Amino acid sequence: MNKKEFITSLDTRLQKLTKEERQDILQDFNEHFDIGKEEGKTEEEIAHSLGSPSQIEKELLASYYVEKVESTSSAGNVLKAVWAVIGLSFFNLVIVLGPFIALVSVIVAGWVAGASFVLSPLLFLINLAVFPGTFEFFDMFFSVTLCGLGLLVVIGMLYVTRFATKGLIRYLNYNVNLVKGGMKS
Amino acid sequence: MNIQFKKGALELCVLALLNKQDHYGYELVKKISDQIAISEGSVYPLLRRLKKEEYFTTYLQESQEGPSRKYYQLTDKGKEYLHDLLKEWQYFSEGVNHIIKEGVSNE
Repeated sequence: MNKKEFITSLDTRLQKLTKEERQDILQDFNEHFDIGKEEGKTEEEIAHSLGSPSQIEKELLASYYVEKVESTSSAGNVLKAVWAVIGLSFFNLVIVLGPFIALVSVIVAGWVAGASFVLSPLLFLINLAVFPGTFEFFDMFFSVTLCGLGLLVVIGMLYVTRFATKGLIRYLNYNVNLVKGGMKS
Repeated sequence: MNIQFKKGALELCVLALLNKQDHYGYELVKKISDQIAISEGSVYPLLRRLKKEEYFTTYLQESQEGPSRKYYQLTDKGKEYLHDLLKEWQYFSEGVNHIIKEGVSNE
């Protein structure tokens, strides 16, 4: 690969970044090539020691997505960041995907439980509408209690979700930093 | 701890080099790759990350030979971080050396 091929390849891979950021990155590599050539190396040699543009892309995009999720943590952004960090290496697949799935299932379970508690009076009413003869005070009070409990669970889950998102972002950040540290394996 | 070790190695190298004087990217890459086998391209994403963490600032400076070069300069925050990393590193390597000495001298 020569300089032009290397830069073009990196350029197309980094389209998701803003124009300024992309140009800044490419400028770094342009400079690297230019100085290397001054020292008498060929473009091919320099490109070879730089490694593959795809690995460089992965490392740059992973930090980009994690940064983005730090400013706006929508569900889509969180997913993108998790995927980007997982894509860095097999090592990350293992240590990111497992905890992520566990975390998401706990949160989903909490929300489902909260929501169904809140909706339980509705079920009571539906039951009454379908089978008018089955009115029970116990059922009514029980469902009202559940509804109150559900509201507490939902409020609790709001905090849990926010807290978990923050924790996840910190964990992803930590992961981006420790990915092999650029060591050749 | 060995995870910390891998993460720290390159970061530590970059910060340690910049502690003495400012360097431009190519120089940093060269100095590190002379000593350790790295994929040189990984240094640049690392440099960007550390710059965003405000561990150093950059400035452009003309060179006699050709185009201007981007120099990296360690900030106070970066120096603090370097000292933290150094402490961890020394603790870690002393432990490893100790174990190696014990294991190998008993053979």
